[in-house]
Amino acid sequence: MNIVILNWVTFIYFGAAVFYFITMLREEGFWGKAATVTASVGLAAQTVALIVRWVESHRMGIGHAPLSNLYESLIFFSWTVMLLYLIMEFRIKNRSAGPFVTPFTFLLMAYASLSPNISGQIQPLIPALKSNWLTSHVLTCFMGYASFAIAGGLGCMYLLKGEEGRAGEIPASSLARFLPSRDALDELLYQCAILGFIFLTLGIITGAVWAHYAWGRYWGWDPKETWSLITWLVYAALLHSRYVRGWRGRRMAVMALVGLACVLFTYLGVNYLPGLHSYLQS
Amino acid sequence: MGKESNRPAGEGKNALWSFFASVRLTVVLLIVIAVSAVLGTVVPQQEEAQRFLRDLPPGLVSVLQFLQIFDMYHSVWFLLMMALLAVNLTVCSVNRFPRTWRIFSSARSGGRGSPFGGGAADHVFSLPGPHAREAERLEGILRKRFGTVRRAEEKGVITLHGEKGAFSYFGVYVVHASILVILAGAIIGSLSGFDGYVNIPEGETVDAVKLRGGQGTKKLDFAVRCDRFTVEFYENGMPKEFRSDLAFLRGGKTVHEGPLRVNHPIEFAGIRFYQASYGNIPGKARLTVTEGGSRKKLLEVAAGEQFELPGRKATVSVLRVEENLMNMGPAVKLGVMSEGGGIAFWVFRQIREIEEANPGITKQVPQFNPGLYKPYVFSLDGIESAYYTGLQVSTDPGIPVVAAGATLMVAGFMLVFLFSHRQVWVRVEEKGGNCRVSLIGRCNRDPAGLARDMNALTAAEVK
Repeated sequence: MNIVILNWVTFIYFGAAVFYFITMLREEGFWGKAATVTASVGLAAQTVALIVRWVESHRMGIGHAPLSNLYESLIFFSWTVMLLYLIMEFRIKNRSAGPFVTPFTFLLMAYASLSPNISGQIQPLIPALKSNWLTSHVLTCFMGYASFAIAGGLGCMYLLKGEEGRAGEIPASSLARFLPSRDALDELLYQCAILGFIFLTLGIITGAVWAHYAWGRYWGWDPKETWSLITWLVYAALLHSRYVRGWRGRRMAVMALVGLACVLFTYLGVNYLPGLHSYLQS
Repeated sequence: MGKESNRPAGEGKNALWSFFASVRLTVVLLIVIAVSAVLGTVVPQQEEAQRFLRDLPPGLVSVLQFLQIFDMYHSVWFLLMMALLAVNLTVCSVNRFPRTWRIFSSARSGGRGSPFGGGAADHVFSLPGPHAREAERLEGILRKRFGTVRRAEEKGVITLHGEKGAFSYFGVYVVHASILVILAGAIIGSLSGFDGYVNIPEGETVDAVKLRGGQGTKKLDFAVRCDRFTVEFYENGMPKEFRSDLAFLRGGKTVHEGPLRVNHPIEFAGIRFYQASYGNIPGKARLTVTEGGSRKKLLEVAAGEQFELPGRKATVSVLRVEENLMNMGPAVKLGVMSEGGGIAFWVFRQIREIEEANPGITKQVPQFNPGLYKPYVFSLDGIESAYYTGLQVSTDPGIPVVAAGATLMVAGFMLVFLFSHRQVWVRVEEKGGNCRVSLIGRCNRDPAGLARDMNALTAAEVK
């Protein structure tokens, strides 16, 4: 049941991404509203699916929040990105980040549904995952990942927008006109990076508490732990370069993309290294 | 903190101080730490490294071992970099603190005077009423947003100043201090804690654990017995629960007992026990000895035990007990010592099936013949398997310190990211029969919050 809804959500997010792209080419208007409505419907359906999945797991007698394996984490990642994006769209009253963020939610859903290695079955929790810290750890980590994903999208936008118009340059393709001002992008990117940094820190802390109870050490240089620290250092560097060195714009955009690469490696790449967090083992 | 240059605040500080006060050093250290951390996730570490080492030339191995590449996160150079980072962090913070304190205390004492002399105001608008009354109204709005408002009046010009959140400047120091606290906790843990493991077969008692990293064993001042180990499975075969029933003994008496489960450690005498792994050890084998096709004797034996054969002067030693030998099922290896010498052979539980699949095998391979020592024929009825439980055993006195550091870090983040130092100056004066209001707003972060403050004041115009 939940999987049927989630398969539909994949298509809806695809539609939303297409509408956002059309919006980018044809300016605001009907398509923009259609994009927002589609994305919101998708998010609502996905929320329902997550709840249904939770309830179904309880009916099977193995009740747990749907945050326990690669399939569920991909779905939840996509959910948080879409949620944060729509909140941002609502707050800044601007759809221009849509074409850069919504395809990512679609790709996550498509990967979860289509990859032959990923099972959508509700599985019971192995003993190591049976902890009250599971929910708070996964929740905070993915809020962080999602904020960083949006910051990365904004970084892309900044780089596409190009540097400040040099003297004599003919200003603005339609794409550049569609995108918000450099200052606005820079500020938004910075806000997203802060939000992500706070959540990543909380994610690392909750993870350390959990590791303390499960494995008898709060930090053990497991590849996932190490990569989360590397990611944390990259974003700490980003925030410091702005506070202390006053970096703005292009450099921040590049750092946000480097950071996002680290996030994705922390999330998926680490599975190919040996370690306790590997989703592939289970 | 805005854009600040990176020059040391004090004059005459020596070269070493300015070396550690540089943000460039921070950046270099962070990059080097990050790169080595990446290296550590790619190069196998500790136990895993042993397998990998065999395929490398010995010269290279000794160089790499000298560099502690295979226990990188505990290597001298990695710890040295952490120490440098801690010193760098401390010196940078100490260096910047006086300036922050000046900003904070000048804000407390009413700012650096009115900024109106300098340049144009951010907003200018007129109000209809007499300027004293309008000033009163604006002061009310300001007070609602800022708490206390400072008021100065000079030659009929009223200046109001609202200010809040100056304490947020200290957030960054709280965060930096929290990192030092966490590092201190880690040092305390590595100096006065230990990290070990022990495997206990069901029913057995241990009073020492092996330390990780091949650092010998540690004797406990009490004993631990595993009464039972159980694994539960879900219907689909996934493990549901690992559980060891442990008893803690002092002087042979049980003083504490309880079930140990994953995620639910047991603490006893300041030492924590964690359910880490488990395994099977072959237990007792049930053997039947048939003498000359008639007299039977049943035995229960474990590996290493011996028994006498009835009637004859021969001793049988149980050499090995295997749950699954060469994929042919359970088997025991027996050695028979008699006056005529010694022979050894395997007794398979599924000997009939093995013979059916490989006719004549007991002739070709006499060691597979359970009747090799005539006139006795042995048969294996089964092996009782027993579990052992694998426990992680550790104590870390640094944990409360690390936890305090983590809490401090979150508190610091709240100061840094949730609060900002915002100031608004309002000048109210009589100009051409009207009341003219000028606004100036300043903030260190959160321009949106400042805009809300300013909007609350400009809204007074519309009314």
